[in-house]
Amino acid sequence: MVMAEEEESGVSIQLEFPKGRVKKIMALDKDVKRVSSEALFLVSRSTELFLQFLAEKSAQVAIEKKRKTVNLEHIREAVKRHQPTRDFLLDELPPPSQPTKPDRPTQPAGRPKLDPPPRGTRRIDLFFRKPELDDPAQAQPPENPAQAQPPENPDQDQAQSPVPVDES
Amino acid sequence: MEDIGGSSSNDNNNNGGIIKEQDRLLPIANVGRLMKRILPQNAKISKEAKETMQECVSEFISFVTSEASEKCRKERRKTVNGDDICWALATLGFDNYAEPMRRYLHRYREVEVDHNKVNLQEKGNSPEEKDDELFKLSNRGVGL
Repeated sequence: MVMAEEEESGVSIQLEFPKGRVKKIMALDKDVKRVSSEALFLVSRSTELFLQFLAEKSAQVAIEKKRKTVNLEHIREAVKRHQPTRDFLLDELPPPSQPTKPDRPTQPAGRPKLDPPPRGTRRIDLFFRKPELDDPAQAQPPENPAQAQPPENPDQDQAQSPVPVDES
Repeated sequence: MEDIGGSSSNDNNNNGGIIKEQDRLLPIANVGRLMKRILPQNAKISKEAKETMQECVSEFISFVTSEASEKCRKERRKTVNGDDICWALATLGFDNYAEPMRRYLHRYREVEVDHNKVNLQEKGNSPEEKDDELFKLSNRGVGL
């Protein structure tokens, strides 16, 4: 358990938590009417000690589980191990994450496995591919540009460029 | 003396009785800083752990305050004082906090007394008071 640090010169009035915020949390209890400044100071101090204690115990759990990052499960375990803390805090913690069912085969998250398509259907990406020719000679462009076939619609080139019409 | 009952209820009424998340929890930066100080150098803290710890310490404050407040109610007192907090800590099973807190309380009271003495001495020699005296004298027509 973390104990309060004592200084020979006297009490360090400097607190880790803002007094105003601590006061607001205390004021959430409707029965609390007035709180002395010394009570506010002690609540802040004891809260610091409690946080240090819980952090220390959570770190111990993380080390036991060979983890470098302290997470929620480590805090939960630390709370369980200390009776007074467990009494008031265990129910307040968020519920543990549900473990994954082992009987279900694990799949990569990228793409779900789909049922095979019915026979006779074609994949849509085939529509976007160029048709593959059996004769590789046909696939090559003609060497002589004169051999190239003229466009089927010779008027098409003219139609593309708009001609100004004389209105008169 | 901190009169906290009235001010908080007013705040809540203004917001339609809704308590803001930031008012219900201690600042996450302070929580994280204090945790880092305790943990080993190479250890890390997940965001979820910090947020959970925020909830935990707020719950601790409410838990201790509630117990101390109940004692005051039974004894028909309106003000929660340091002794009530020490008693609440011991009652709730945090005995190992209660003793250091009593020592803190004792020292705190000593420091407060010293502060009050210093403040009283400073008040007597404060420049504002001197100026007031001079102003009164000048108004009476008394030369300086």
